[in-house]
Amino acid sequence: MRGDRLMRDSRVLVIGAGLAGLAAAVEIAGAGLPVLVVDQAQAPGGAVHRQPLPGVRSIASGMQRRRWTRLMAQINAQAERIEIRCNTRFGGMDYTGDALLTGDGRALMQPRALVLATGARERVQPRPGWTLPCVTTAGAIQAELKTTAHPPYGRVLLAGSGPLLLAVAAELVRLGRAPVAVIEAGHPFSHPLSALRLPASYLIEAAGYLLRVKAAGVPVLTGAHVLAITPSADGLVVRVNTPRGDRSFGADRIGLHDGIAPNDAGLPVDGPVPVLRLGDCREALGARAALADGRAGGGRLAAQLLGRAAPDPSADLDLQRQAQRRLGAIYAHDGLTRLSDLPSDTVLCRCENRTLADLRALGSNPGARGLRLDGRFGMGPCQGRFCAEWVGRLSTPAGLPLPHIGSNRWPSRPIPISDLVDPSAEGLEP
Amino acid sequence: MSDRLDHDVIIAGAGVVGAAIAWHLARAGVRVAIIDATGPAAAASGASDGAVSVASKKPGVMARLASASLIYTHDLAAQGPLQAAFAARPAHIFGSGAAELAAMDTLAAKLNHLSGRVRVVADGGPDLLSGLGTGVDRLMTLEGEGHMPGHKAVRAYLAAPGITCIWPAPLLGYEVADGFVTVRLADRTLRAGQLVLALGVSSPDLIPGLPIVPRAGQLIVTDRGPVGALSGSLTAAAYLVAKTQDGAALPLLPVVIDPLTSGQYLIGSTREDHGDPTRVDFATLRRLLTRAATVWPALRDRRVIRTFAGVRAAVSDSLPIVGPLPGADRVTIVTGFEGDGICLSALIGREVARMLCGLSPDAALAADLAALSPVRFSKNRIEGAA
Ligand SMILES: Cc1cc2nc3c(=O)[nH]c(=O)nc-3n(C[C@H](O)[C@H](O)[C@H](O)COP(=O)(O)OP(=O)(O)OC[C@H]3O[C@@H](n4cnc5c(N)ncnc54)[C@H](O)[C@@H]3O)c2cc1C
Repeated sequence: MRGDRLMRDSRVLVIGAGLAGLAAAVEIAGAGLPVLVVDQAQAPGGAVHRQPLPGVRSIASGMQRRRWTRLMAQINAQAERIEIRCNTRFGGMDYTGDALLTGDGRALMQPRALVLATGARERVQPRPGWTLPCVTTAGAIQAELKTTAHPPYGRVLLAGSGPLLLAVAAELVRLGRAPVAVIEAGHPFSHPLSALRLPASYLIEAAGYLLRVKAAGVPVLTGAHVLAITPSADGLVVRVNTPRGDRSFGADRIGLHDGIAPNDAGLPVDGPVPVLRLGDCREALGARAALADGRAGGGRLAAQLLGRAAPDPSADLDLQRQAQRRLGAIYAHDGLTRLSDLPSDTVLCRCENRTLADLRALGSNPGARGLRLDGRFGMGPCQGRFCAEWVGRLSTPAGLPLPHIGSNRWPSRPIPISDLVDPSAEGLEP
Repeated sequence: MSDRLDHDVIIAGAGVVGAAIAWHLARAGVRVAIIDATGPAAAASGASDGAVSVASKKPGVMARLASASLIYTHDLAAQGPLQAAFAARPAHIFGSGAAELAAMDTLAAKLNHLSGRVRVVADGGPDLLSGLGTGVDRLMTLEGEGHMPGHKAVRAYLAAPGITCIWPAPLLGYEVADGFVTVRLADRTLRAGQLVLALGVSSPDLIPGLPIVPRAGQLIVTDRGPVGALSGSLTAAAYLVAKTQDGAALPLLPVVIDPLTSGQYLIGSTREDHGDPTRVDFATLRRLLTRAATVWPALRDRRVIRTFAGVRAAVSDSLPIVGPLPGADRVTIVTGFEGDGICLSALIGREVARMLCGLSPDAALAADLAALSPVRFSKNRIEGAA
């Protein structure tokens, strides 16, 4: 490279080998264009179809397995034009159109177009003790179950809000490690079933989870919030506020989950080549929507690149959007209002260990620059991916727009310097 | 001063230069307000390295002013506002190949001639600094210089009592009449006895014809790690060439590795002829890091967490512009510090404040300060009163 520009690659680069990314790849390759799909994980699958480690049996349901097998068959049918590189991270795309990949598939390339299908991230609201060891997201526990088919060690407690908590709880029951409690901030069961107007598939799935969890005698507390997590002689103690008073639970592993949001921190919005976001990375609507969005988006992109008429948009997406909106209403709760009542030593930014007191010291409405430069919020390795939402809400008077402290500049993830400068780095040599 | 005025002095531009002037005026009892289009340290001062360095300055005016500013910065850090902003630390210069080694000879001679606070404490081979990698023929260690992040200095200066801060408030224009300056903001006008324009690279917006061009530089920040592995900055001698010889072809990449007090590294930089702070690119990142990691292999264990570009305000004759604006009584212009504004800010803040209070400059510096006057461009028709 040495200052010269790279040759434009003929491939479309797809980031994320989950449902949306792979569905897009099938469509793009089907139109005759070569595709490179990369994923940071060890195998394709994404969040929903995360594959077990070699030698581990899959815990996926029959329905899930069928969907995955079908998609992989479509990928294999296009094997000539689709390359999948795992253990490979996307560092970003710069203004010249260079895209950086590090890890096994390290390369600096100029793709013909960029598809971002990096899925969703879990939101975790700060609470005292949320940064302690053995406190992770509920999704991280789910990923562990899928890759190892083994429950985590000891007593597991799940807390936060949303359908994922029960799904993980049911999976734990099935693997013989019933959680000690599920702490749900909303009141999802107080609605008569008929009023939910959810697609039948959602209801059947959710009812199955609830039955299994209840049958195992797991307490499912609704309208309940974790007040604090503290270390104790034998693990962790979780103090919970419920409508009927406070309670305590002992636990060895805690999974927190406060919903999902697009995993788009640090990703480009546009660039010198077409940039497209698909699936949960564009709008967190779940697996069914991701598949449909990936297909439709892939088809649209291929048509655009080949100068053909765009295919009709899919109606499926609207259905999923309505379903997600209803789910949101069903799980509605007042958790956000509790943010400002947190003890002042609660950590907000775990990268730089910045607390609520540090935030308040910046005065009212410090704005994005003040939060970053003076407060050091969003300045650590995660660049605000996890704290931006909460710091924004806490620092901004009601009614004003939230400051944008997360950056949408690369690197979207920290880039190991050794990956960049290693002269043997395949693909990085001029 | 008069009650007809909202403020004695209004400073437009809350970069490190505007902030330093504000602090010195407030301390002299002047009613001062500082306005900024965006907020404190919104431009170059918030997107730069912070070397307070004499070594890198061109011999002559710039080296003498930097030397004086360094001494004064030490004072302000000892018992003044810059206590938490400035950190003294050694500066290591390394070179490889004839051109870089020659630049180091020139440096040694310059420092000797200046007889200021900066001293060469070691000069020899790469074994002088443990942890050095390959690609170093000669290493020189200087003592007396320091580091000051621009945003920290701005915050420190503006925390002093008696400074009215107004932002976001772009200065749209001004008129001088009847013994005062009327300053136009979007939602109001303000009256002041004097106006200072410390707008950095945006100065030509208010003063058309000012010979200032943008010069962007890319910077890289790593994650944290053990502090203290590198005691001070590690600068390629090519950087001295870039800064002291206009238009010289650089022998090698002018990389600077700056260990921050946070345990992070800041690595820079480039000199690009454009003003777009969003232009950062992987090819440049890789070239900078390749030389940096060759001489300082510990970098190989770090990760890049942030990259950004800052835009310097470069002047056609490479000297800052400081002094009363010709043809516009009561308006003073202070800009064009290119890559040296943080280093010079303390001294310039003090001297501009003296100038505004009608005091004569420090006698030892009078001639050098006079060399910065905008009068030198009068022929180019720079216009007061936009
Ligand atoms: C990559 C890089 C590395 C550097 N490294 C060093 C170094 O190691 N040592 C060193 O000494 N210097 C360094 N510098 C240079 C230094 O950053 C600048 O010289 C210095 O910050 C200039 O300060 P300033 O106050 O003149 O301008 P700025 O900091 O640019 O401030 C100008 C202010 O004016 C405001 N403004 C603009 N237009 C208007 C308007 N119409 N109305 C109101 N406000 C307005 C802007 O918002 C801004 O806040 C570096 C610069 C870069 C880019």
